[in-house]
Amino acid sequence: MKKEDTVKLISAEGMEFVIDKEAAMVSQTIRNMLTSPGGFAEAEHGEVTFPEISAVILEKICQYFYWSLQYARGKETEFHIEPELTLELMMAANYLHT
Amino acid sequence: MPVLRSREIPPVPPNPRKARYNVDPPSTPTQGREQPATRLSSPPSLTPSPKTDGSVYGSAPFSLRRSLRLYSKGSSNADDQFGLPAVEKSIGSRNGDVSKKRKLSGDVDDGDVNGGGGGNEVVESYMKGKSIAESEYIEKSERKDEIENVNRKRRFSREEKGKGKLVVETDLESEDESLVDVSFSDVELPAEEVKSPDEKLSKRSNRRTSGGRMERFRDAARRNASRFAYFNTREEEEENNNNLSVEAEREIPSVEEHIEEKVVEDWPGPFSTAMKIIRDRTANLNVRQGSSSSDQVPSVQIKWVPQKGKGKDGSKRLPPSLLDLSLRVLVDNADAIASLDHVPDAMRHKLCQMLCDSRQMNSNLLDLLLSGSPTEIRLRECSWLTEDQFSECFVKCDTSNLTVLQLDYCGQCLADYNIPSTLARSLNSLPALTTLSLTGAYRLSDAGLSVLVSSAPALRSVNLSQCSFLTHGAIEILASSLASVLLELFINDCQSIDAMLMLPSLKKLERLKVLSVAGLESVTDKFIKEIITARGDGMKELILSGCGKLTDSSLKIIAETCSSLRSLDIGNVPKLTDNSLGYLASGCRSLELLKLCRNTFSDDAIGAFLEISGEVLKELALNNVGKVGHNTALSLARRSRNLVSLDLSWCRNLTDEAMGLIVDSCLSLRVLKLFGCTQITDVFLYGHSNAKVEIIGLKLSPLLEHI
Repeated sequence: MKKEDTVKLISAEGMEFVIDKEAAMVSQTIRNMLTSPGGFAEAEHGEVTFPEISAVILEKICQYFYWSLQYARGKETEFHIEPELTLELMMAANYLHT
Repeated sequence: MPVLRSREIPPVPPNPRKARYNVDPPSTPTQGREQPATRLSSPPSLTPSPKTDGSVYGSAPFSLRRSLRLYSKGSSNADDQFGLPAVEKSIGSRNGDVSKKRKLSGDVDDGDVNGGGGGNEVVESYMKGKSIAESEYIEKSERKDEIENVNRKRRFSREEKGKGKLVVETDLESEDESLVDVSFSDVELPAEEVKSPDEKLSKRSNRRTSGGRMERFRDAARRNASRFAYFNTREEEEENNNNLSVEAEREIPSVEEHIEEKVVEDWPGPFSTAMKIIRDRTANLNVRQGSSSSDQVPSVQIKWVPQKGKGKDGSKRLPPSLLDLSLRVLVDNADAIASLDHVPDAMRHKLCQMLCDSRQMNSNLLDLLLSGSPTEIRLRECSWLTEDQFSECFVKCDTSNLTVLQLDYCGQCLADYNIPSTLARSLNSLPALTTLSLTGAYRLSDAGLSVLVSSAPALRSVNLSQCSFLTHGAIEILASSLASVLLELFINDCQSIDAMLMLPSLKKLERLKVLSVAGLESVTDKFIKEIITARGDGMKELILSGCGKLTDSSLKIIAETCSSLRSLDIGNVPKLTDNSLGYLASGCRSLELLKLCRNTFSDDAIGAFLEISGEVLKELALNNVGKVGHNTALSLARRSRNLVSLDLSWCRNLTDEAMGLIVDSCLSLRVLKLFGCTQITDVFLYGHSNAKVEIIGLKLSPLLEHI
């Protein structure tokens, strides 16, 4: 993965997740952050920090991004969510508009 | 006057009129207008008929213009058309100037490729009863329908532009038709205004040259004279999408008057204009197809071609959002939810909605919802809640921050005696409550409501639908304490409330903006008149569905008084006629939401209404309005740029083409409901090119998701 095609998502604990830009763009919030004009730090450095989202949740969200791309390309599988995560995942998903 | 001329069919010597066609056309419409006047006196072969009299022209410019147009036809079609104009004239102006104009415009197009077709078309469209004559022409012309349409379209559009300018400028300033015309002009192809005056001249010359045709038409006229006596104002479709000239041409009220007997004339203006245009369109169509389709109803030829691959691919589905996925898992594991702290209200509501829908809501979850100091509680369905559970949960609930309380279908749990201990514990126990919804509280009486309202002085929206125990006393209670703050009142189906008895209290609600009296049989025209006169100015939303006693007079008052009305629901009011739409079109200019259901409005009227008010409309429901047809579709396609949601369920006269045209033209459309429209096929479903619209109600869509 080239550096230009990736973004780094940083969780509350500081754990960093490097994923494809295309995958990150599944989230409308991240898409807006990265593409909005105005020279914001997120767009320039390709890094977005989420102080309220924990690493476990953020990891699950990244998994969802890739699953969503796969689904859109035709491979329709099931995305399993552990019940313990659902509440926080739901709130994070709402924040990320995904 | 054309009327005089209608009786006589002057013999026209077959002079070579074509030569006149080739006269240089004036470069501007004004020039053109002047020229006919001068030419009127010059041609020697002119028969001495009142038509050609310059004074006639001066006195009735429009009618003369029309007659001139009738006479002048495309150069390529000169022979055919010479006889027709005279006959048409003889038939009379019964069909209205509008139809004449249309024909003229159609014929006048010299440069039109299919001039012969054009001429015939004009003739046909003009003379409704002259099916025989028309059929002759049709046979001769050997046109195909498509070419006709295209030619007609072009011809009309050019004509219209020219005519519209000529006519509108002189006659229509006082009406809104100029607006209509301008808007139409935007859509039309650039008109060859040059043609109009030239055509007029050529028409006149044409008229004089064909004698044989004249005789034939005369015979046809004699045969069909009796048929002209029947004026059918209710024609169906027109074939010309862009036939804006019709609208421009509908002026000339003097000629129209005797035609519009069937229409109540107390709403002159853009709506009547639009109606006339639509009727003329269908009249023209009828005329054209006269002999061949005497039994079948002529259908508007909506030109829409399905385009493969452009629209939403039916087989491809968008991946479900993470929010939906996690909500579904949450609902499945609802009993494992330990706490709902920090969950924002919107999430809570979504969760509650899904839980209620799947009947998994229980008192434990309600406890979770009520823990802390909740701000909003929305329970769509409380029929599972028993009285004891209700008391238990709400006794310990801190309601000081509660702004929204929605307990729908709470009849089982809510009664007069448990309100004081739960919700209305003290006089100020619900200080922040602005929205209260207690639908279905069938054990709630006026006294109980009084206790509740005294604890909630800041109420702005009250929904007491289906509380069958409440009487007009309840409205008195609301008026006595909430007169200056209450904005919304819903009392659907409260059968014990008598509308007239509650009228004085209702009038006291100074800031009422939303009123729903759906299903109340006691709502009459008198009630509407009183309440609208008192509070109509500020009214934004009116829900009157199911009030079967209402008639057009109520709509008239609403239209006249409620100028800022945004939303209106008049479904299931069977006594309303097309006049209501006329009132609405002229009165409620900012109407964004209109719901019709099982109304008996005609296709013409809805089409005309949309022509006027379609721009502002965002949501339209024509559920089970059976007469909806192609006129509505055309008007929707032309006008409804801002339409977001459209319900055409059970409108079985709409074809795939009509649907396709609507969906491809209404670019803001996101939701289209088509329940019961089994006539719609895959041609539309996979052929439309609007990628953002969601079609609900046909075979592929899961039904219950959209409730």
